[in-house]
Amino acid sequence: MSITRRNVLLGATAAAALGPIAARAQASEVKIGVIYPFSGASAQIGVDAQRAFETAAEIINNKYDYDLPLARTEGLPGLGGAKVKLIFADHQADPQKGRAETERLITQENVCAVIGSYQSAVAVTASQTCERYQVPYISADNSSPSLHRRGLKYYFRAAPHDEMFSKAMFDFFDAMKKKGTKIETLALFHEDTIFGTDSGNSQLKLANERGYKVVADIKYRANSPSLSAEVQQLKAANADVLMPSSYTTDGILLVKTMAELGYKPNAIVAQDAGFSEKALYDAVGDKLEGVISRGSFSLDLAAKRPMVGKINDMFKAKSGKDLNDFSSRQFMGLIVMADAINRAKSTDGEKIRDALVATDMPGEQTIMPWKRVKFDESGQNNDADPVLLQYVGGKFVTIFPEQAAVAQAIWPMK
Amino acid sequence: MDQAFAQRRRRDLIVAACLAGLAALVPLFVKDVYYQNIMVLTLMYAALSQSWNILSGYCGQISLGHALYFGLGAYTTALLYTKFGVLPWFGMVAGGLISALVAMVLGYPCFRLRGHYFVIATIVIAEITLLLFQNWDWAGAALGITIPMKRDSWLTFQFARSKLPYFYFALALACIAWFVTWWLEDSKWGYWWRAVKDNPDAAESLGVVVFNSKMGAAAVSAFLVAVGGGFYAQFVSYIDPESVMGFQFSLLMALPAVLGGIGTLWGPALGAVILIPLTELTRSYIGGSGRGVDLIVYGGLIIAISLARPQGLVSLFARKPKADARPVREAVAS
Repeated sequence: MSITRRNVLLGATAAAALGPIAARAQASEVKIGVIYPFSGASAQIGVDAQRAFETAAEIINNKYDYDLPLARTEGLPGLGGAKVKLIFADHQADPQKGRAETERLITQENVCAVIGSYQSAVAVTASQTCERYQVPYISADNSSPSLHRRGLKYYFRAAPHDEMFSKAMFDFFDAMKKKGTKIETLALFHEDTIFGTDSGNSQLKLANERGYKVVADIKYRANSPSLSAEVQQLKAANADVLMPSSYTTDGILLVKTMAELGYKPNAIVAQDAGFSEKALYDAVGDKLEGVISRGSFSLDLAAKRPMVGKINDMFKAKSGKDLNDFSSRQFMGLIVMADAINRAKSTDGEKIRDALVATDMPGEQTIMPWKRVKFDESGQNNDADPVLLQYVGGKFVTIFPEQAAVAQAIWPMK
Repeated sequence: MDQAFAQRRRRDLIVAACLAGLAALVPLFVKDVYYQNIMVLTLMYAALSQSWNILSGYCGQISLGHALYFGLGAYTTALLYTKFGVLPWFGMVAGGLISALVAMVLGYPCFRLRGHYFVIATIVIAEITLLLFQNWDWAGAALGITIPMKRDSWLTFQFARSKLPYFYFALALACIAWFVTWWLEDSKWGYWWRAVKDNPDAAESLGVVVFNSKMGAAAVSAFLVAVGGGFYAQFVSYIDPESVMGFQFSLLMALPAVLGGIGTLWGPALGAVILIPLTELTRSYIGGSGRGVDLIVYGGLIIAISLARPQGLVSLFARKPKADARPVREAVAS
């Protein structure tokens, strides 16, 4: 065949016509939207989250000898080895932007699932948008209990919510009391946004149910310049346990003010947040020997499950930090979602949803101290057991529950 | 001179009608919901900024607390609908009336303050209201209010996927805000406001009731902003104190007017058309990296514009000053 203009045109047309078919046959990517704050006050959370999600995607897309779903295969075998591709979007902690970005991810980027979002307020609108487009949404790290009670069909949360966290603290108190420790009075100290309000409410409720006396219930303005008056009240109440729910800066101020005013409680049992952030221990760690915080993750697991340590090393290479309460939940969020997409063998929202409903992942196949991952009809995983960690000698050791504990609690704290 | 002025006003009205007509056609060509979303926001901010401009631009009472009225509008609409089943259409009007009333109650003491003191008062009052709403359990406190999603309907002004109804509502709101400004510009109020802005003492001596004209401007401005707030609540279908009453909202309302030309008829709309798509597009397409490049680009452009056109972008369209349009003082001196 001679090279004529006509033949070239013919060839080009044929190639153009075949092009899409060839591309479709490979179907090499599954797009998942990840929506986090990448600018503004909580930008650092978003940047760390990005590293955690990338670590998870790397494990899914390549071969690793870990007992984790999708680790031993390359890509998603259910979809012919398709690779997971993450599309990141910035919501700037604004519910309106969260909604708009979710919509963009779904309609422009054609993601088949969305994971978010750190701020609970953004999770409200992002998951609502997903519901409207029938695309599944996983809350990797939102802990507000109201989220799974909205009757959404496409909402899932593998991690514990704040009521489960508070319940773990009271289970711990009960267990300590059985051993003969005196725990009768509690002092609640919480900030005034969604997180602190929810946490304070559920702690108050649990205290009343289980017969602990709340001698101080102090709600303070987040980012307050001074906490002297509040700490005076705490000192006067002198409860057996101080239970703060504070973000990092408030936590630092609280600990400093307590030292200045000479208030030393028998025990501090904190609701995560600031009390699991490295910055707080860098600033006032010397005054916090023996503080207890709840968490959903503990590096102690590495002793029982070597893969936890290896995955931590991978994450550390990317971010320069150890996996913590947030990054571990983010990591698991993607694993759970990818596992469901793989079983659904489809990127259709409804099929992925059905696969998520059918999820039953044993705890040993996660990096968390959870019993398993199985969603109830509201999309919440009730088998995600939180842990309590105690800060001893510059690091955290797991002290509760029994099955995850590696040490006995030191009570009272030093 | 009067004839030239009347001519200019007629021309403004025709241009506005043409632009609104063209804008109404845009969704026929732009089908992507993401871009439609940007257009809705642009029109909403144009309307908000136009309303802000009435009090702060024309009357010269700089308010950095307009998020208060926006939030009141949003909360009134959302609370009336979720707690009492009142349709959002009535909720928006109720929110507007409540806000106008609040603006006058607050104006009563605050309009005695001048310059920076007034600005500070507006910021403080908005912040106090934010705190009140964050702790008001009946109104959802810090958790906010979710507007339950039912079937698509004009009655409840809810549409799951379509952006068009919101687009046309926002367009109507922007047109109304523009028209109100246009109409007031040539009314007795309009002249009073400009006199108050230039020199309250001189205005008073000429018989302008300074206090009343400030109150009037505040009420009109608050009413329109609150209707915008009610619209926002329906549009996003979730509100919490931080996202509708936060300080950044007050700034976002002022920014388009300042950028486009404060105290001008076209400034706010022009500012919004440039500013809002810029914010949204830079965030979406270069913001996912966590390096803040989008904000650097955004901030850099704003600085560039304000350096090049300190009197606002509208001045780009101004005709060359005529010989007889010299400031009075200069004319007298020569």
